[in-house]
Amino acid sequence: MSSWVQKGSSGRLLGRAYDLTALRELARLPQSTNRYLFRAAQSPCIPYRRVAMEVQKEAQRIMTLSVWKMYHSRMQRGGLRLHRSLQLSLIMRSARELYLSAKVEALDLEAPSPPARCPDPRLHPPREVEVPAACVPPDGEQPLPEPMDTQEEEEAPPRAAETETLVRCSPRPARVCRKRRSSSLSDGVDAGLVPSKKARLEEQEEAKDSSSEVPDCLPPPPAQAEGAFPNLARVLQRSFSGLLSRGPAASPTAPPARDAKPACRPADPMLSVLVRAVVAF
Amino acid sequence: MAGAGGGGCPAGGNDFQWCFSQVKGAVDEDVAEADIISTVEFNYSGDLLATGDKGGRVVIFQREQENKSRPHSRGEYNVYSTFQSHEPEFDYLKSLEIEEKINKIRWLPQQNAAHFLLSTNDKTIKLWKISERDKRAEGYNLKDEDGRLRDPFRITALRVPILKPMDLMVEASPRRIFANAHTYHINSISVNSDHETYLSADDLRINLWHLEITDRSFNIVDIKPANMEELTEVITAAEFHPHQCNVFVYSSSKGTIRLCDMRSSALCDRHSKFFEEPEDPSSRSFFSEIISSISDVKFSHSGRYMMTRDYLSVKVWDLNMENRPVETHQVHEYLRSKLCSLYENDCIFDKFECCWNGSDSAIMTGSYNNFFRMFDRNARRDVTLEASRENSKPRASLKPRKVCTGGKRKKDEISVDSLDFNKKILHTAWHPMENIIAVAATNNLYIFQDKIN
Repeated sequence: MSSWVQKGSSGRLLGRAYDLTALRELARLPQSTNRYLFRAAQSPCIPYRRVAMEVQKEAQRIMTLSVWKMYHSRMQRGGLRLHRSLQLSLIMRSARELYLSAKVEALDLEAPSPPARCPDPRLHPPREVEVPAACVPPDGEQPLPEPMDTQEEEEAPPRAAETETLVRCSPRPARVCRKRRSSSLSDGVDAGLVPSKKARLEEQEEAKDSSSEVPDCLPPPPAQAEGAFPNLARVLQRSFSGLLSRGPAASPTAPPARDAKPACRPADPMLSVLVRAVVAF
Repeated sequence: MAGAGGGGCPAGGNDFQWCFSQVKGAVDEDVAEADIISTVEFNYSGDLLATGDKGGRVVIFQREQENKSRPHSRGEYNVYSTFQSHEPEFDYLKSLEIEEKINKIRWLPQQNAAHFLLSTNDKTIKLWKISERDKRAEGYNLKDEDGRLRDPFRITALRVPILKPMDLMVEASPRRIFANAHTYHINSISVNSDHETYLSADDLRINLWHLEITDRSFNIVDIKPANMEELTEVITAAEFHPHQCNVFVYSSSKGTIRLCDMRSSALCDRHSKFFEEPEDPSSRSFFSEIISSISDVKFSHSGRYMMTRDYLSVKVWDLNMENRPVETHQVHEYLRSKLCSLYENDCIFDKFECCWNGSDSAIMTGSYNNFFRMFDRNARRDVTLEASRENSKPRASLKPRKVCTGGKRKKDEISVDSLDFNKKILHTAWHPMENIIAVAATNNLYIFQDKIN
């Protein structure tokens, strides 16, 4: 997985080779602050695609949390702290990268392919490399969050693949299994966050794609700077907006571009949410 | 008692037997934010112990002289002086409130009867003189005993004022105020071994001051990028070398330490030595970047080593070896799987400090649940102790604590899920010569002594 992550739309967008380790790390994040779920046994019941979906949701949750923390840090006494802001922005960037990785992974796995139905586990390591390289259909208009009605195709191979990859880390898979059930409750909440904004942002995206003047499309950052740290909102806005505009354009070769473009576009609403949230401060 | 308390294994390194000595601070469950201790520092002789809190106050404790009638009990620390060092301020230009929380206190070596210390908040450093007054003059000619001026025509005779003893009064007066030199928040101050200069470090810059001069400081390190969007790391701590007055180090949020020599150039943006441990790819996780941020750096007393504290571990570096530390001690490795929750409750941003003992044979740092950890470098042993009111009987031995990381919990072990993350020990200090430690637990200051001798 590392290889195709680096071949993303732009070297900078997916520059960090977050591999399955990172996805699994997110996959085993506890649902709430006070519950630490330790699992000894693996659970073979979760298809790998669901793991990717869970990872997406977690990444989304962490991004939202980070934005909230950044907002909150401005309200505290002493003003915005540079070190804290830097750490929060690092987390947001990591969460974004993981979100995008998981998103593409989920999209890849949705694509039906007869060879993939073969339950032979020996084929799975190569298949994991092949699937990302296959053309992802340009389903960029697919709305977020991940629709619950997506069929669970290829349950056996992803399950086996998941078993294979998760065998290295024993406590996690069962937690993922538990997580799937409980996360369905939070889906409504998460779904509420994004689609309402998506309608508005779709128009903005059209404008963004047509013009390269990304910052102009977004409302100007508030006049009040963050005190000592010059305009974190503007920094984040430019970084994210730059990446949005650079995303589809900077792709080196065609297949990665096709991979990346649908990968980027569905994520755009999420990123725009982030940018909007930051700009609003 | 020693056997019962320690069991088979001595509580600590070098056969330390840590015993409770004193606890300072309110017992209330309701902790006022202003009372939270934010820094602890012994002076050079260890007779004075200073604490700073979030309310801007400094409290200095003095060790009582040894009591000849009780030769086995060590001197206790009692309040010597209390004063308000910093007040909340408002920066009108940026519409920001400047917190009065004392970030650091550093003592100056004693040169006369008075004591001097530097205390700093986010923006301003102050030099305080703490002096004793135990005599006062009486019998003035021009004024009455209560201070009122006498009518000159009433004075018929002259007398010489005489000094009379009075109750000891300790006065603290600000002698210098070093202000307006930092755009970002000051995180460290360090007095140079030349006893004339000191450095102050904020997130992006380090300034060099002369103790006598308040209207000027020299910027010696500036890591602010031309374009703030390219900012990737900030300075987290800085310290002067204990013996070489031209050498200092500063640590960054990326887990690196740079040693700079002020003789090489006026601006020390280019380091002389760069200490970084290559990241272990197998332990890389989502939060790896932020937990590698160094929260404290301290030279050993010998000057040969330095110690850094990041979120999960303490590392000892040999100044002659830049590519990896000579020792790595895990403080609370069981938290590695909890990083997401610790991010949610902001504990992952806690800045723990660390300290050496006088002989550099042991190091100490804090953890959660009012636990603190001590590592014996020679015996390769470590121990977890707790600062709690329950263990606060006079001269009671501290029992080693253990955190159960999974599986069956043994008796007297505490499970990770039961840890109280609101009770954190961020600040600790070790007496420069003796085995006396001061541990700050939120609003309480615990003092522990080694039972032996």
